Amino acid sequence: MRRDWPDIWGGLVLAALGAAALGWTLVHYDLGSLRRMGPGFFPATLGALLAVLGLVVALPAWRRTGASVPVHPLAALAVLASVVIFGLGLSRLGLVAATALSVLIATLPAPFAGWGWRIALTVIVPALTVVIFSFGLQMTLPLWPRLP
Amino acid sequence: MTTWEGLLYGIGFALQPGILIYCVLGVVLGSFVGVLPGIGAMAAISLLLPVTYYITAEAALIMLAGVYYGAQYGGAVASILMRLPGTPQSAVTALDGYPMARSGRAGVALFAAMASSFAGSILGIAVLVLLAGWLTRAATAFGAADYAAMMILGLVAASTIGTERVAKSFAMVTLGLLLGCVGTDVNSGVQRFTFGQTELLDGINLVALAMGLFGVAEVIGNVRDPDRQAVAERIGLRAMMPGRDDVRRMGWPTLRGGALGSFFGALPGTGSTLSSFLSYAMERRVAKRPERFGHGAVEGVAGPESANNAAAITAFVPTLTLGIPGDPIMALMLGALVIHGIQPGPLMLEARPEMFWGLVASFGIGNLLLLILNLPLIGIWVAILRIPFRWLYPAILVFVCLGVYSVRGLTFDIVAVAVIGLAGYLLALARFSPALLLLGFVLGPLIETNLRRALLISRGDPMVFLERPIAVGFVLASAALLIASLWQAFRRHTGPDRPRTT
Repeated sequence: MRRDWPDIWGGLVLAALGAAALGWTLVHYDLGSLRRMGPGFFPATLGALLAVLGLVVALPAWRRTGASVPVHPLAALAVLASVVIFGLGLSRLGLVAATALSVLIATLPAPFAGWGWRIALTVIVPALTVVIFSFGLQMTLPLWPRLP
Repeated sequence: MTTWEGLLYGIGFALQPGILIYCVLGVVLGSFVGVLPGIGAMAAISLLLPVTYYITAEAALIMLAGVYYGAQYGGAVASILMRLPGTPQSAVTALDGYPMARSGRAGVALFAAMASSFAGSILGIAVLVLLAGWLTRAATAFGAADYAAMMILGLVAASTIGTERVAKSFAMVTLGLLLGCVGTDVNSGVQRFTFGQTELLDGINLVALAMGLFGVAEVIGNVRDPDRQAVAERIGLRAMMPGRDDVRRMGWPTLRGGALGSFFGALPGTGSTLSSFLSYAMERRVAKRPERFGHGAVEGVAGPESANNAAAITAFVPTLTLGIPGDPIMALMLGALVIHGIQPGPLMLEARPEMFWGLVASFGIGNLLLLILNLPLIGIWVAILRIPFRWLYPAILVFVCLGVYSVRGLTFDIVAVAVIGLAGYLLALARFSPALLLLGFVLGPLIETNLRRALLISRGDPMVFLERPIAVGFVLASAALLIASLWQAFRRHTGPDRPRTT
């Protein structure tokens, strides 16, 4: 039997998150009383609630069949890498280079062959970004790599 | 000044060329940023704040307000055509608007969104004008316990109504509430869950959370899909004409949504996101065939769009009369007024009538402009959104990054978007609702503050929630919804065992 893995894993991860939040709160923050709640009261309650809800989601799913879920690890990796590289590169590489690099990486997992459209995007999007954000909206952004 | 005098005075004031131009600028810019997935009213208003130094306070407020409600129109376009909500309020619109677009009824969905947005706004303006004073008094009668009970009802309603797996919905709301705890605790000043990151002192950035959960997660889910395209048809004015059946279906949801939105918008701390969720839940509940929802029911577009536009208008009541911003965007508006040395409060309607009545009149003028402008502009929005997804998504990612960055100027937030985007992708895979997480996140700090205040006033006696007439209504409604959903779950459990198909 194919179990309902998304619910099992999702529920268990949420339960673990809730338990972790509860534990961290109990160790670090003051609970206070009902009359004068401390900073820990609300998060501790929520952590306990999330732990219970996670189990309520996960346990019944063990005895149930579920559909398989298509996962695209390469797409996720490329898109996330593109965002992270933009974030880390913006102040050092400048807007133009950071945008070009992150666009190129983002296009890699798309199921279309050829480099023509990828290169075109790598040129068009940075140009568009500079026109809209730097000239149009007057955001103060470094355009070019910072020289050492 | 009577209401009619005020209104006439306001129309005269708002039609001055020097004011009208900022109204037009505001609504056009608002539509544009609303359509562009990745930048919403929040980022646009933050970016415009420095500009308002150079114009009068009235022009500034009218322009920023125009961006706000203009983005509600534009947000619906992106939601319907691409399932990428341009604004958090229009996330609900995607639930039925996108299936409509997929089945070749994009034009009707867009028309429904525009018409109901306009109707909702007009209703909101009427409520604002006729009941401004009364609503202020009603809002001041609300105590902390009432606020807390009302917001909890909002969360319970959003997670029980319209979902098959109630436990999963509640888990998402709870996770959202927990994420809302991150940052400095307002009562004690203790830093919660910041792990030494100074960027987290003000909490997780709302824009980063929304963009990660909706923008980035959606891009990841669609990169490998070769057929992904905004819409497959050309939308002319003819395609936008709804059938007689659609018009009949739209009427009541629009009215109900507008009424709901007017009410919840006027209460500080709820705002338009909650009212669009509530409207969707309500339409689904009163529908004769609720199973149509999620597969392209026009009611699911008309109701929430009317609600969020009505709420966007009445949200100005507490902001202008009490000085309490109802949502983060209203907080920015308040900031714009304070820049000009104006402290909104109960005296403002008397002291600066041109501000209040001019703004009210500009709402009417701006919404009319949006309705007139957006019908021909749909072609342009569609042209933008017709481009194949692979040509769009790299630009969307960069726009998301820059939109998030523009709010606080921290690259930390861009990296946070990546982390949140991964979480959002995994949640979408496991069919958890990121919209409910966002709702919990927005309401979390407000609920906690009011809960703590209520119990402090009542000396720790939780009976305060059952003794105040307003609070007890919300508590009973929440309890009824909970019991109803538990009963349904129980019946499903003991009923004939069906294989899960979704």
